[in-house]
Amino acid sequence: MTKDDGEMVEEQKKKPCRFWIWALSSVLFRLILISYAGNLNLSSRPEVSTPLTSIRRLAEGYWLKQASMSPYAGSMYHGSPLLLSLLGPLTVQRIKGQPSHLFCSLVFVIADILSAILLRGIGKKLQMAYGLNARLLGLLKSPRDKAGILPCGDIAALVYLWNPFTIVCCVGLSTSPIENLAVILALNGAVTRRVPLAAFGLVMATHLSLYPAILTIPVIFLLGYGLDAPPLKLFLQTRNVESGNRSSTSSASKQAKSKPTAQLPFLWKTVVHFVFWALVWSLCVMVLCRLSLSKHGGLEEMFKRTYGFILSIEDLSPNIGVFWYFFAEVFDFFRNFFLIVFHVNILFMLLPLAIRLKHRPCFLAFIYLAISSLLKSYPSVGDSALYLSLWALFVNELADMKFSFFLFCGYLGVSLLSPVMHNLWIWRGTGNANFYFGNAIGYACFQIVFVVESVSAMLNHDRALKKCNPNHQKVKN
Amino acid sequence: KKKMKNLTLVVMLLCYSFASSSGDTTIHTNNWAVLVCTSRFWFNYRHMANTLSLYRTVKRLGIPDERIILMLADDMACNSRNQYPAQVFNNENHQINLYGDNVEVDYRGYEVTVENFLRVLTGRHENAVPRSKRLLSDEGSHILLYMTGHGGDEFLKFQDAEELQSHDLADAVKQMKEKRRFKELLIMVDTCQAATLFNQLQSPGVLAIGSSLKGENSYSHHLDSDIGVSVVDRFTYYTLAFFERLNIYDNASLNRSYDPRQLMSTAYYRTDLYQPHLSEVPVTNFFGSVMETVHTDSAYHAFSNRISNSKIKSDTPFNQLSEQDVKEDLRNTHNQNDELKTEKQKCPYSEMRADLHEKLKKIENVDTMVNLSIAVMILVVMVSSSLL
Repeated sequence: MTKDDGEMVEEQKKKPCRFWIWALSSVLFRLILISYAGNLNLSSRPEVSTPLTSIRRLAEGYWLKQASMSPYAGSMYHGSPLLLSLLGPLTVQRIKGQPSHLFCSLVFVIADILSAILLRGIGKKLQMAYGLNARLLGLLKSPRDKAGILPCGDIAALVYLWNPFTIVCCVGLSTSPIENLAVILALNGAVTRRVPLAAFGLVMATHLSLYPAILTIPVIFLLGYGLDAPPLKLFLQTRNVESGNRSSTSSASKQAKSKPTAQLPFLWKTVVHFVFWALVWSLCVMVLCRLSLSKHGGLEEMFKRTYGFILSIEDLSPNIGVFWYFFAEVFDFFRNFFLIVFHVNILFMLLPLAIRLKHRPCFLAFIYLAISSLLKSYPSVGDSALYLSLWALFVNELADMKFSFFLFCGYLGVSLLSPVMHNLWIWRGTGNANFYFGNAIGYACFQIVFVVESVSAMLNHDRALKKCNPNHQKVKN
Repeated sequence: KKKMKNLTLVVMLLCYSFASSSGDTTIHTNNWAVLVCTSRFWFNYRHMANTLSLYRTVKRLGIPDERIILMLADDMACNSRNQYPAQVFNNENHQINLYGDNVEVDYRGYEVTVENFLRVLTGRHENAVPRSKRLLSDEGSHILLYMTGHGGDEFLKFQDAEELQSHDLADAVKQMKEKRRFKELLIMVDTCQAATLFNQLQSPGVLAIGSSLKGENSYSHHLDSDIGVSVVDRFTYYTLAFFERLNIYDNASLNRSYDPRQLMSTAYYRTDLYQPHLSEVPVTNFFGSVMETVHTDSAYHAFSNRISNSKIKSDTPFNQLSEQDVKEDLRNTHNQNDELKTEKQKCPYSEMRADLHEKLKKIENVDTMVNLSIAVMILVVMVSSSLL
């Protein structure tokens, strides 16, 4: 046993080194791309930079602000004024011989590294919880029997760092690394039970782009119910069987039978704490925004130009989403109706998923993010980067996911064809908008299949655990 | 029913009479210039130089290229006989190059025809004609029409091939008046027997200046032995001599007299169709650019500063607004002031907000404060998350 222990300790020491080697090499790769791949023109690709995340629009907004005009004048910039005051001065500073916006790229690289570290933290917690639950269910014999459990934290962090989508967003100067950092911060805070951090992350994520507001539900579940775990029934069944094994007295079995109807305890105190901190942070953010926009229309202007712009889909330039094509041809009479329909499309999926997956709040967060990045007004590959890395957090549970190779090839094919179709349409003129839109539809289909398959794989995993349980107990008997 | 018909007719007549006399109540909003040189061939160099000199003057005094239609019947600057390629002079001292870097010729070469000229004046173009070739004037425009070339008794020669007759010109001007394409029109013609071209004019608001009377010739000023031809005509030369001394802010009037001995012809003014007296009319009415400038401190907030600037407007030499308009402005601003005052009196809470606003405005460097606050916020997050 001691030899095994020694080997395990050595392995554990090797893994962090390996992780840091891979992490630092990804940072190096990004720096190389930033310095030498200026010809790729990634910041002008519609897949990377949307009207909400483009750095050029931020620079324009900053210039307008410096010329004492409202940064939202002229409908170029549609982001947060706080981001403007942080990143704006960096867009102006240049070093001779270096590519433009170098400092912004460095900020995005730092944001990526921080996200990876935070993801690793989330993953470690989830992995520990998985092991604990497996032991409680009787599937693992000893605390050190971790042979089958993959280090999902390291995997998720490395997937995030080495995902071509994230690299392209970082090098292509889109502000989605910062939005992703805010979301991951919120999840990390909720998973590690640091309530102010979670509240801050959520408030900032909602402030930067509207859609992370739906993450309030999984964050509250995480703080109230705790980490991802198999359904309560399984634990109660195990307890029933165990108590049945220990004594056959009728009183104990009656007690055990009365327990299956018990509810999972919900920690209201933490949730109230969270709400309090969320209010504090949102007040701070509102005050700061009011300060920076005091001369240019104040908060009303900000809400109209940021949230109003997101919700009303004013900009119909092509992106990898599906709304631009539709809204280019919809009649004005029906425009509001379809806006409501498309946004309610996200909203009505929240409740059923919350009911079904409330025992797995982290996975719920992943599904919400996947749905919102599928159905949001201006999607980009940065959103996909986020949910793909969150998917990697669940490698242990989703190991049996069907169509994984098909989806991988699908994502690869779509992301390679997208610039080709764009070129054919815009630059050569031999294609038209339908080519590009067909690609976008294909991408949306692959995303839908991905979401559906991951949810079904997770539910299958839970069912498999249920089946495993009495069998395991029977063998023990 | 007959009574109704009569009534409607009377009402229509009244309206028509009001409309026809309403030319005085429009505001002078912009200036246009149509400069036409009608002669081709190298020995008519001076006509090109005349037109280009007027073009230069009119641009210098403020009319932009968008509102100048320049028609040159031939190319002297790049003519194979021009010893100074891409340069056109109007004086033998060669001091001013009229061709310069930013000459925009709208109608060139064989496009300068009587038909195109009349189309420009009346605005009746084919659909494909670009905007730069159209006279897009409106009822507030003052138009300067300058024509030079070879002329005679009631005609002006175009390109040695066709003629513009005085009744053609009068018809075109009448159409322009009907279609309200100008408020005032100044026609300057520098040809032989120029005054005869104005014989058929009838439309009000037209002032015509010709370089010579019937039976007189207009002469060239001097010969440039270097270029080999005469470079400028006398009438234009003395007109330019007057204008070269002016800048955009000058208030000089149009009432200048040409010396018949210097011109070697009699300059003719046809003023019966033009209401204001010549001595009251500043040259900038036709030769400059009227722009109503309202000074603002910051962009996009033009209307908040009208109160303080209506006084400035009355002092500028460009006060082409009628008294009525200035009074209306002042009345509007007074109304706005009253509304603001009543709003303030309604809510005492808004006074507090106004105080806050003023305090906020006094904070000069808002950006650094915001950055500092963000940094403080992040520090608080880290501290609180590690403690709690």
